[in-house]
Amino acid sequence: MRTVCSVWKMGSLGQALAICLGLVGIIWLWQFPAQSQQDANGRCLLECHGKPDFKKEIAPGQFRTLYLDYAQFKASVHKEKLCIDCHTDVTVLPHPKKPEQIHCLQCHYEGNVVGAPVRERPEKYKESVHGKAFERGNPNAPDCKSCHTIHAVKPPQDPQSTVYRSTIPKTCGGCHIEVYAEYLEGVHGQALRKGVLESAVCTNCHSEHDLYAADDPRSSLHPRNVATTCAKCHGDVQMMERRGVPVTQVEAFKESFHGIKIEFGVLKSANCVSCHSYHKILRSSDPRSPIHPQNLAQTCGQCHPNATANVAMGKFHIIPSDPEAGIVFYISQFFKWLTISVLIGLILHIFLDLYGRFRLRRAGE
Amino acid sequence: MTTMMEEKRPEELTERLSQEINEELQAELDHTLDESDRARIKTEVKERLRKELERRKALEEKRRRAQAKRDQEQFTRFSLNIRAQHIILAVGCILLIVTGLPIKFHEAEWAKLFFKLVGGLQVSQVIHRIGATMLIAVGVWHMLFLFTRAGRREFIELLPRPKDILDFFQNIKYFLGFSKEHPQFGRFSYLEKFDYWAVYWGMVIMIGSGLFLWFHNTALGLFPKYFLDIAREAHSDEAMLATLAIVIWHWYNAHFNPGIFPMNFTIFTGRISKERMMKEHPLEYEQMLRAQDNNGSVVESAVEAPSSAQASSPEEVENV
Repeated sequence: MRTVCSVWKMGSLGQALAICLGLVGIIWLWQFPAQSQQDANGRCLLECHGKPDFKKEIAPGQFRTLYLDYAQFKASVHKEKLCIDCHTDVTVLPHPKKPEQIHCLQCHYEGNVVGAPVRERPEKYKESVHGKAFERGNPNAPDCKSCHTIHAVKPPQDPQSTVYRSTIPKTCGGCHIEVYAEYLEGVHGQALRKGVLESAVCTNCHSEHDLYAADDPRSSLHPRNVATTCAKCHGDVQMMERRGVPVTQVEAFKESFHGIKIEFGVLKSANCVSCHSYHKILRSSDPRSPIHPQNLAQTCGQCHPNATANVAMGKFHIIPSDPEAGIVFYISQFFKWLTISVLIGLILHIFLDLYGRFRLRRAGE
Repeated sequence: MTTMMEEKRPEELTERLSQEINEELQAELDHTLDESDRARIKTEVKERLRKELERRKALEEKRRRAQAKRDQEQFTRFSLNIRAQHIILAVGCILLIVTGLPIKFHEAEWAKLFFKLVGGLQVSQVIHRIGATMLIAVGVWHMLFLFTRAGRREFIELLPRPKDILDFFQNIKYFLGFSKEHPQFGRFSYLEKFDYWAVYWGMVIMIGSGLFLWFHNTALGLFPKYFLDIAREAHSDEAMLATLAIVIWHWYNAHFNPGIFPMNFTIFTGRISKERMMKEHPLEYEQMLRAQDNNGSVVESAVEAPSSAQASSPEEVENV
């Protein structure tokens, strides 16, 4: 910078040299911007927030750190921003009082001029359980920063992001620790731990910004929507083939009486989670699973009081036209061919009768 | 005085009137008929004669029709008991089909519309079970009916026999024109027998599987789960077969057949005309006549029947 500034003092005599020096200076600035001591945020960091031991006593003996890991900030989506872009009430340094809480909507609103991307998400959040709790003044209610962090906001594709697929359970688990533990035991959690990124994480079922309570008809967890929510992955033939999971259950459930009842709004009927449970979904071969043959009587017994071990005798999620359905397949085939042959006979008889009538009528005329 | 005057006046009036009439008559008598008068009178008389003829014709027609109706002897084909069984079965089946098909085709738009109109799946379910109750009731009723003398008689008539197969082939030959002889049916043709026995099959499958589904909680305690799966599949598939058989086959024979359209009322009124009796059930008709002969109480209009019952010209059958 100094080099560039000096150009103006030197006058016209050394202009050519000055321009050369200036160019070198610009290139130098371009190449090493982070190391520049002239970072506009420099003053905030140099004097206070860049020092790891910078803290504030909030109660006698209790401290709160006011240190900011600037490297993290520079890796975030907001790396181009200045501290004061968000902390707009800081006008003099050092600032005499604690800056006001900032909010993401300061920039992320429709029609903003700083180019902050706006999606429907903040609006959805307001309607969500988290947003509603926040509105009620629940101190534990999460807002944007709870999941997206404050200074280290990264896009969800970034493996370092708190909202990266494999990190989401941990992020949610920050508050929902018990659910997190259950999830990790379940098939989805296990798969995720093995690095299967397409395994379901919290947001796949709960969705993230439009996260409604399960009794809300808009919720992806509302009894009417559960099957559709699971089907987002379990109806995806390619994905299920990749994972070696059968894909027919979605169709079979839709055709079952349980599925039909739910389809027409009779919600007192089993949906996927009624039997499979949810956070800790386990394979039927796992003795802890509610769908393990030994546990089926109890699982079905939640609704069907007389259920005994009998309920384990027979296949589940059957599609009658599929030979996998066993005896039901043969029953369906029997009726199919019976219907076809009987109807062919009857219709043939009808046509013969009609033919006879018209033939005789013509002969009579 | 006044009375004298009043009495006198009418006399005068009458006298004048009679005089006027006499004059007029004289004038009429004196008037000679010209051509136009003759023509007028002629057309008037003709018109009157035509009207009279028409009146007589209509009267004759009416009398003839009444006579024909009287000649058209009606027989009781189905007892009230049988008619009641049929109507309950029919209403029950319609209720079951109407509320059952939307479940089978639940993804279709019309099914969604149906449930919306009827007030939801649960209402439809109740209607379905009302229909089911009617079907079961009529099934039990019919079984008990078979223990009565009348029921046994009908049942024996409904038993299949070799003649039915011969009748079937004869009918096919007749349809195709290889034979001019229409098969001679008894009380029940093979078509009617088929319908009767098809209902047995349908009732056993539908009621059996239906009860499993209706009382699935009890069934779950007693039978393996795959019993319910089978019941569900059989119920759904047999329902389709029965519906198609009723709509295509039974309705053709009872409604849409060109000789029967719009419908054959016999199953509802129980009555069948002598004409239809002779064409459709000649053997039964003969049998009836023989029975009447044996009883010595011959119905007047039925005396000449045996000979005509034997005849079954193509023209006659065509009108069936």
